[in-house]
Amino acid sequence: METRELDRRGFLKISAAAGAALVGASVSLIAGTAPLCLAGEGKEKKTLVLGIDGMDPGLLEKYVEAGLMPNFKRLMSEGDFRPLRTTMPPQSPVAWATFTTGMDPGGHGLFDFVHRDAETMAPFSSMSRVTASKRVLDVGSWSIPLSEPKVELLREGRAFWQILEEEGVPTTIFKMPANFPPVPVKAATRDSAKALSGMGTPDLLGTMGEFAFYTSRPPKNAREITGGKVYPVKVVNNRVDAALVGPENTFRRERERKGRGRRAREAAYKHPPCTIDFSVMLDPDEPVAVFAIQDREFILQEGEWSDWVRLEFRPVRGLVGVNAIVRFFLQKARPDFRLYVTPLQIDPREPALPISTPPRWSRDLCEDLGPFYTQGLPEDTKALSGGIFSGRDFWNQMQFVFQEDYRALKRLLGTFDEGLLFFYFSSLDRGTHMLWSYMDPQHPAHNPEEGLSDAIQTLYQQMDEMLGCVLGTIDGDTTLIVMSDHGFAPFYWGVNLNTWLLEKGCVRIRQGAQPSASGYFDNVDWAGTTAYALGINGVYVNLKGREKNGIVPRGKEYDELLARLENDLLAMRDPRDPSRPVVSRVVRPTRDFHGPRAAAGPDLIVGYARGYRSSWESPLGRFSREVFTDNKDLWSADHCMDNRAVPGVFVTNRKAALESPGLEDLTVSILAQYGVTPPPEMIGRNCLAPASAK
Amino acid sequence: MFGPRIKLDKPLYDRIRKLAKTAGYSSPDEFVAHVLEKEIAELEKPDSEEEVREKLKGLGYLS
Repeated sequence: METRELDRRGFLKISAAAGAALVGASVSLIAGTAPLCLAGEGKEKKTLVLGIDGMDPGLLEKYVEAGLMPNFKRLMSEGDFRPLRTTMPPQSPVAWATFTTGMDPGGHGLFDFVHRDAETMAPFSSMSRVTASKRVLDVGSWSIPLSEPKVELLREGRAFWQILEEEGVPTTIFKMPANFPPVPVKAATRDSAKALSGMGTPDLLGTMGEFAFYTSRPPKNAREITGGKVYPVKVVNNRVDAALVGPENTFRRERERKGRGRRAREAAYKHPPCTIDFSVMLDPDEPVAVFAIQDREFILQEGEWSDWVRLEFRPVRGLVGVNAIVRFFLQKARPDFRLYVTPLQIDPREPALPISTPPRWSRDLCEDLGPFYTQGLPEDTKALSGGIFSGRDFWNQMQFVFQEDYRALKRLLGTFDEGLLFFYFSSLDRGTHMLWSYMDPQHPAHNPEEGLSDAIQTLYQQMDEMLGCVLGTIDGDTTLIVMSDHGFAPFYWGVNLNTWLLEKGCVRIRQGAQPSASGYFDNVDWAGTTAYALGINGVYVNLKGREKNGIVPRGKEYDELLARLENDLLAMRDPRDPSRPVVSRVVRPTRDFHGPRAAAGPDLIVGYARGYRSSWESPLGRFSREVFTDNKDLWSADHCMDNRAVPGVFVTNRKAALESPGLEDLTVSILAQYGVTPPPEMIGRNCLAPASAK
Repeated sequence: MFGPRIKLDKPLYDRIRKLAKTAGYSSPDEFVAHVLEKEIAELEKPDSEEEVREKLKGLGYLS
C-alpha cells in the first residue's frame, strides 16, 4: 500500500508528465488512497477564464451572424454558448462578487456601488475602505503618521482562487473587479497565488479616477465637471507654469480659518496637498511643446500623448516619497492651451497601496511590461462626459488601455502552463457605456458626427481578434470560458426615485423648505419620511431601530409598506409613454437572497425596464423637479436595470450542462474542473458538461 | 471651562510642556486636550457624502 501521500499539486504534476492517457494508471499506483481529485474531470488541469466586462449576448450574436467575429463563431459552434444570468442588481461590483464567491448579495454583502451606514446615514463605497492612520503626532505644522493607513476589502466570502490554492491549484488573477485590496491567499506553490486588483482600485487621490485639465480658456461648465478638475493657466512668453496636485500631505497641517472678520476663528487643522511643479514651453511657431517635470523633459506635438511619466510626491523632502505615474495629452497648444493629465496612478513598481498579491507581483509585471494603468476602470468616461475629451480622444485613450491589457494577456499566456488563469478586460464595457448614442439614432444624445457609429462593433471585433490569439495559444486540454458580468441596454430616460417617493408621500420635506437638487437628502424631514432611495437600485425603509431617525416600526407596518412600495414600483408609468412599465422587477433581499448578509442591504432592489435607469441625481439623495428626464449624457447605455434585460455571456470550448446558467454556476464549475466540492455557502451548480460530452 | 483634573507625573509633564512650546500651542493644557481629542475622536469616521460622491464619480455611474 502506498503510504506517501501526494498533495493535489503533486498529483497534477504527475498527471501532466504522464500524459492524459496515463491518468488512470497514475491513480492506480496510489493504491489504497482515495483519488485526490478530478473525479470525472481528471485531465482538466488548465482553465483559462476571459472576463469581458459588459459583453452583451444580443450584440455578440448580431456581429457573429454578420460574419464579423469568426473566432467567436467557431468557439460557439464547436463548444457552446448561453446567455449568462446576472445578479440583481446587475452592477459590476455585485456581479463580480457573485462570480468570485459563488454567493448572491445575501452572502457577499455587496448590493450596490453605494451603501449607507444606517446609524449615521452616511454613504460609503461598497467595495473597499481606506482609512487614515489611527495615530498621528502633531508637532507644529507637521503631523507624523505613527501607523499605516488601513485598507479593507468589504466583500465577504471566500474567493474561488483562495479555495483552489488551498487545494494545490496554482492561480493567476489579473484585475478581478471588487478585489481591492487583493484577498490574502495561502499559495499552493512559491510562484502561485498571483493577483492584481482591478475595478475598485483607486487612484493616488483615493478616488475612482480624477483627471486634471490645464487650460488657458476654462470651459463654461468647469464647475460642473465631475471626475476631474479644471485648472486655469496663463501662457506667458510662450510658457505655462502649473502644478500637479497630489494626495494630502498628512505630514503637514494647516489651520483652517472658519467664519469672517472678527468672528473668524481658527478651526480644525487640515492637511494641504502635495504638489509637483511643471512647466510647458510652447514653440512660438509650431504646435509643439517641451515639458519639464522633476528630472524629466519630453516633447509633445499637439494631439500627442506622452509615455508614462514616473513622479514622486515628497511630503517630507529627502525622507518620505509617494510614487505615481501619469500620462500627459497635449490636446491643443494654441490658440487655447489645453492639457489633459491622467488621474495619478498608483505606481505598480512602488505601489503606495496594496494592489497585488504577492506584493512584489505588480513590480514584476511592471518590469516585464513597463508601467501600466493601475486605477480600476481607467477609460476616462468623465473626460468625455464633461466635454474635455472629444469622442475621438476618448476612443484613443480607451484603445491605449485595451492594448496595454492585450499585451499583458499575451505575456501571461506565454507562461501559462498549469492551473487557473483569469484575465479581465474593461474596455468593452466602458466603450459601450459611452459610445452607444453614436450608433443609436433614438438616443437623446445621438451624435452622428465623429465617425463613431461603428465604434462598438469595432470593440467586439477586437475581442474576437483577441480570442483568436488565445485559441491559437492554448492546447486542447485547456478548458476555456469566456464570460461577462452583464450585458447592456440603452439608457434613454432617468428616473429620480427620491422625487417619486416624495410624490408618493414617503419622503417629507421640512416645512418651508424645498426638495434639494444638491447636497445629500438636504431638507428631508426624517421624522415624516418612511422610505428613501440610495444607490443606483436601492430603496430603504426608514426603519425604527435601524435607521438613525427611523420611524417605521418592524412588523405589520413595515411589511405593508414594503408590499405597497413593491406594487407601486411595478405600476409606475412614465406619462410620456404610459403603455409600458418603468420598473419590470422588484427584489426583496430578505425574501429572495441567500445568506447572512441579506438584511444588510436595501429593503427593495429596483429592476428598471429597458431604456430606464436611476437618474443622475437620485443615487446620492438629490431631488429634481420631474421624476422622468431624458438622459442627454454621452453615458448613453447602462446595465443597472432589471437583470433579465441585460444578461451576460457564457461561451466555452466545452458543452454547457445547464440551459440557463448564472454567474454563481460558473464559480462552482471552475472548482469542479479540479474536483473541488463547493463549500456549502455557494449556491450554484456545475454548468460544464464533462470533457467527453459532445 | 475647567473640568475634572488629571494627574501626570513630572517627567511626563515636562516633556509635554517642551513639546507644546515647540509645536506652537498656547499652553500644555491646550496641547494635551488636542492630543486627547484626536485620540478619542472617531478616526475611522465615515467620509462625508461629498467625499463619497467625489470618490465614486470617476466610475461613471454617478454624477
